Amino acid sequence: MRRPLIGLTAYAQQVQYGSNDVMAGMLPMTYVRAVHATGGRAVLITPDDPGTDVIESLDGIVFAGGGDIDPAYWGAERHPETDVDPARDDAELMLMRAALDADLPVLGVCRGMQVMAVVGGGTLHQHLPDIIGNERHRAASGTDPLAADASAYGRHDVVVQAGSRAHALLGSHLTVNSFHHQAVDKPGSFDAVGWCPDDRVIEIIEHPERAFALGVQWHPERTPDLRVFAALTEAAALRAGVQPIAIAA
Amino acid sequence: MRPIIGITSYVLPASWGVWHDLPSALVPYDYVAAVREAGGRAVLLPPDDEDADVLTALDGLVLAGGPDLEPRWYGAEREPLTESHPERDEGEFLLARRALEIDLPLLGVCRGMQLLTVAAGGRLHQHLPDRLGHEKHRPAPGVYGEQEARFEPGSRIAALMGDDVAIQCYHHQGVADPGSLTITGRTEDGVPETIEDPARRFVLGVQWHPEVVRDRRLFGALVEAAR
Repeated sequence: MRRPLIGLTAYAQQVQYGSNDVMAGMLPMTYVRAVHATGGRAVLITPDDPGTDVIESLDGIVFAGGGDIDPAYWGAERHPETDVDPARDDAELMLMRAALDADLPVLGVCRGMQVMAVVGGGTLHQHLPDIIGNERHRAASGTDPLAADASAYGRHDVVVQAGSRAHALLGSHLTVNSFHHQAVDKPGSFDAVGWCPDDRVIEIIEHPERAFALGVQWHPERTPDLRVFAALTEAAALRAGVQPIAIAA
Repeated sequence: MRPIIGITSYVLPASWGVWHDLPSALVPYDYVAAVREAGGRAVLLPPDDEDADVLTALDGLVLAGGPDLEPRWYGAEREPLTESHPERDEGEFLLARRALEIDLPLLGVCRGMQLLTVAAGGRLHQHLPDRLGHEKHRPAPGVYGEQEARFEPGSRIAALMGDDVAIQCYHHQGVADPGSLTITGRTEDGVPETIEDPARRFVLGVQWHPEVVRDRRLFGALVEAAR
């Protein structure tokens, strides 16, 4: 019996550790632990590669957090605060398309949800403070906004639309951690099914016709609430169980 | 579809952009590029001591470089200069042993060669300068030792490297006993630089760092064996 294999999109970037300063393929372990804790086996997919064939080896995929998406992808001019990562954009938009086409179970986290919306033909807000007038959605880096002593920045409520898949998974209300300054404006072919009640910023999108395609704007991997990862792993396990029959046929 | 090659990864507190010291799975990008340029599709394998089941999805495996192995794996007491990182050891031994069992094409680099050795029942010297009286295999922090190797005629590594015997080393431990593997290359001081298992499809360990020059001979041979 093997565990479902879950790909995690990763960074290729300059990082510092100890006295080293190297170009590395990397991802915070919080994502890896979230996958392993919910019964999957995580592998990291670096954004350097011209192909999407890796999709065929996976049972599910997580599009992880990271920098901003180039607004050229939805036909907008770049905002001064927008900080893009072209290598990840190219690779992840291509991978997202391939994953959705293959109906591979997909979870989008933060930037990953935004990639999902853009591939679905949607658009993003490039700098939320311009729109809502505050920094509620952007916690100071390195902080835990859900900690008891944290400031209100980066912690807010989410209300979930009744009847949605997200509602079945998460209930009607939750409190989340946020580290973003961009957000989904129009969700394209996805349904927006969760919002921050204070400012109506979209926090959850899902695709009603896919096996599992869910995007969340917060960072569940940095909390003890791993329900969205568990749901992805479950969908991936279901798919993995079916796959050998398809191959035999 | 290209062969999928898994690369074992480090776990370290890493810093980038606005983030500081976040525990991260990472591997020097040279490994990823070396696999890609050789025609493979790289995926990184964060440490996981649960099971080696990920191997069922892979066509080949790179055991990457990194810190020293915990000496208990080869039945030794830890010596003063050994710097181990037990979080990686367990999961990587699971992978190496299972990969040998199922004859998955396997390239071990530096620590990866040492891991392969121990997985095959061998043992390591914990600090080579104590035995050799020189530091040519790791001249200074962050500096590769430029050395020449002598490869065993008829070995896989001799066929791959041809007349090119220049290698870039950065290690202070070395193979003392290769277990069930065969030593097929050494530097002039006698330190093993290459191990192989001629009975398997492709099992090669090198003590130097071929990923730094994205050596297509070695990574290409791995990817070919993985097809």
